[in-house]
Amino acid sequence: MREQPLNEVTQLIHAVKMGLVEGSYSITNKTLDIFKYIIMSKTWQNADALMQIVRAQSRIMQAALPQETVTSNMARRILKLTREEFELLQAKGQHFADDSQASLSLHKLVTQTSENCVSVDYSVPQQGLREALLDHLQEVETELETSSENISVQAEEHIHSSEIILTLGHSRSVENFLKRAIKKRQLLTIIVAECAPACRGHNLAASLAHEKNVEIIVIADASIFAMMSRVNKVIIGTHSVLANGGLRAACGAYTVALAAKHYSVPVIVLAPMYKLSPLHLCEQDAFNMVGCAEDVIAYDSVPARDAKVYSPMFDYVPPELVTLFISNTGGHAPSYVYRLLSELYHPEDLEL
Amino acid sequence: MQKSNSNSQQNASADKTREQVMAEREAKKQAKQAKKQKPITPATTIITQVEQTTITKKLTTTTTTTTKEQNQLQLAAAASAPSYDATVTNNAVQVSAQNTTDSLTNATGASEKTREQIKAEREAKKAAKHAAKSNKANSVDAVAQQLNNVQLTPKAAANETAATGAADQDKKKPALSKAERRAIQEAQRAAKAQGQNKNVTPTSGVAKAATSSVKATPVVSATPVKEPKRESESPAKSPSKPTTHKAEREWNVKLFNHLVSADKDASLFINDASVHPSIARLGVQYAQRTIVGSNARCIAFLHALRQVVQDFETPAKKEFGRSLDAAVKHHVEHLHKCRPLAVSVSNAYKQFKNQLMQLPDKPETELKELLGHFIDTYIENQIGKAAQAISSSMQEKITDGDVLLTFACSSLIQFICEEAKRRQVSFRVIVVDSLPFCEGQEMLRRLHACGIPCTYVLINAISYVMPEATKVMLGAHALLANGYVMARTGTAQVALVANSHNVPVLVCCETHKFSERFQTDAIVYNELCDPNQLVKDGKCCLHNWQTKSRLTPLNLSYDITPPELVSAVVTEVAILPCTSVPVILRIKPDIGY
Repeated sequence: MREQPLNEVTQLIHAVKMGLVEGSYSITNKTLDIFKYIIMSKTWQNADALMQIVRAQSRIMQAALPQETVTSNMARRILKLTREEFELLQAKGQHFADDSQASLSLHKLVTQTSENCVSVDYSVPQQGLREALLDHLQEVETELETSSENISVQAEEHIHSSEIILTLGHSRSVENFLKRAIKKRQLLTIIVAECAPACRGHNLAASLAHEKNVEIIVIADASIFAMMSRVNKVIIGTHSVLANGGLRAACGAYTVALAAKHYSVPVIVLAPMYKLSPLHLCEQDAFNMVGCAEDVIAYDSVPARDAKVYSPMFDYVPPELVTLFISNTGGHAPSYVYRLLSELYHPEDLEL
Repeated sequence: MQKSNSNSQQNASADKTREQVMAEREAKKQAKQAKKQKPITPATTIITQVEQTTITKKLTTTTTTTTKEQNQLQLAAAASAPSYDATVTNNAVQVSAQNTTDSLTNATGASEKTREQIKAEREAKKAAKHAAKSNKANSVDAVAQQLNNVQLTPKAAANETAATGAADQDKKKPALSKAERRAIQEAQRAAKAQGQNKNVTPTSGVAKAATSSVKATPVVSATPVKEPKRESESPAKSPSKPTTHKAEREWNVKLFNHLVSADKDASLFINDASVHPSIARLGVQYAQRTIVGSNARCIAFLHALRQVVQDFETPAKKEFGRSLDAAVKHHVEHLHKCRPLAVSVSNAYKQFKNQLMQLPDKPETELKELLGHFIDTYIENQIGKAAQAISSSMQEKITDGDVLLTFACSSLIQFICEEAKRRQVSFRVIVVDSLPFCEGQEMLRRLHACGIPCTYVLINAISYVMPEATKVMLGAHALLANGYVMARTGTAQVALVANSHNVPVLVCCETHKFSERFQTDAIVYNELCDPNQLVKDGKCCLHNWQTKSRLTPLNLSYDITPPELVSAVVTEVAILPCTSVPVILRIKPDIGY
């Protein structure tokens, strides 16, 4: 018998499916709210029970919204938090004042032997766990709120004056990042590829056009290669970062990254930490979704009757095409993503 | 006439707003009344319209000779057929509006006016007054010019006319904005008033212009009078067109300041007396992108050239060859002003010039025949037979189970696919397309017509379909002497992605498209198309981009594919690596120099 979804979970799933909640940030925020509600509720008595509930609810969300990895990422964060807090409290309770227990240093990882790694019994009731968790959750919330800003303050470190920057589609992180860059640097030229068929690039261009001292060029997706020869930097957002450092990004990102590689232009990907997901998906079929084809070719047009028309939503960008990730904690190379993941999530939670 | 039109309008009425429908209904009612009251005025207009239609149709059919192009041009003719209907309705509406102006103005005026609309109206009025003052002959021109001014940038729509079909035409028809319609009305009213003052004819100005020119040689008349009309009913992207046109040019992208966008001045198309009508017509077709594609442009140019040669009269005491050379040069310059010449066209022109230099000493009629024969053989050898040769060598490359990926529309690729289909090879085609040209839809329709199973995606989804493809076949605009391929923008991207998936890229290109130019990027030389094509519709954020100081859409025509991304070039001579272009240029010196 499967667990029933909470009322809040059902509401969130519905809202996302109806397009009422859009963008990774708001979905993450809502998910966090749900988990906060779960923690505050009286339905669990020990850490094990809490983890069971969190797992079950996130499984439901994952099944309902397979394309939104941020929900499971958030669940993994909560699980890791629970483990840490529980162990910390237990250690305190047993006067086991071993500080290195909390942090997984490289030294510890290497020297760790199986006898040290006794499985902890989470079913023991622990005093003060709820309060500690809520405290910690506050930190996570703040981190989430400031993530976009923390990314954009790094703009100055990466953009010099009179640079020509290319971006694709419309990502909120990229928008803030570029706005900051425009304020700090002179004579930037920003080339926006429109990202057909939704053409969300137009929105970004229109939003950036309010700034001064900048030249915005909107190009069709077909002209990316032609313009790339003049571009200094490619800055794109992503839907999620995969475990190998590859991207699941908006459709067209692969072409952009490939063209950048051809002209040796650095590709900078803005990805807040909550977009890091411990998944290995290197195939189109593994994660892609096909959208409505009406935008690609009108249903009632003559050739559309017999032709197969696809409108995929995502592109896989292999890690070798990415130069740098900028997250709210700083810059990372794609090869370092695995390490970030091991710090962010507990290895036992990778499989929910 | 009225009834059939009303039918077609009803089909289209789905996309109309309520005001438009109301205004139209009222206009129709008035048109009926006007018919009863003054049966002469609208009737003559319609008749002249019909005359024009038949004449232009004749003209269109004369140009369809080669089998390959026939299909395309017929399609174009079919596409334009319903648009004439539209003109007739429009005209009827306008004539009625002249009789009962006030009520219609009220009807349309009820909906909100934007500033641009008012401005456009004022401008039209001013120009109309001006026209009334000047003498008769000038005023007709002025009216025609004004009609053109109202719609300075219709080539976007015209381009799509070629690509999409008759069905689309019907859909677009109601998009004619009120500002434009009113400007046309104003102009016509002015012309009418002017005509009455002079006591020449009581019919409307445009009708008069049409009849007067029809009375002259029919070939001459059809072109200059028809064009402004056709322009006037083709839809514009935004109603602010007339006022913002000047501002548009100031907002060039800095990187592309060196590229002068072709001068779309109306006077260029109509008022040049020294330009042969067939060339003037071709110029408009180039500028409006009714004729697109390297081969189509070349064939159309040669046909027009033949017309020029046939109608050419040597001035007194001048040599035939020399004076014809000068005349043709002038014509080519005119075409260049309309749209930068395609490499294929300039190569054909060079060949023709060579031929002129070597003319034997013979009577003029024989020389004309000789030149006509030369043009025919050029088309047959360089385009027709070359396509066959390329197709036959490509047939070896297409086998059962192949998945061919192609980009945009190429007549040559279409020819190859049709041939393969005839051989009953079981293969399918993935057509990759890009906004804003959407030429792939045309390709899709053609392939679909011959029963080839197709898949259609936009260019940013190319990595989704590339794993399926076994071969990539691309057409080209030109092959440059350093081995780079100049083609419709997006081609390089397709080749790039194909390369990363290890799919062979074959570029099919006849040798008459080889150019001796060297180019290493797509920015030094390129063609800028109308940036408004990037604006999707009124709801798009780019709408009225001219008012945003720092925002510029950029619409490139071509891009350059580096030779390392191309596996081989298929020409009628051989299948070669890209870098062998100079070799071909050398062994075929008549092209290069």
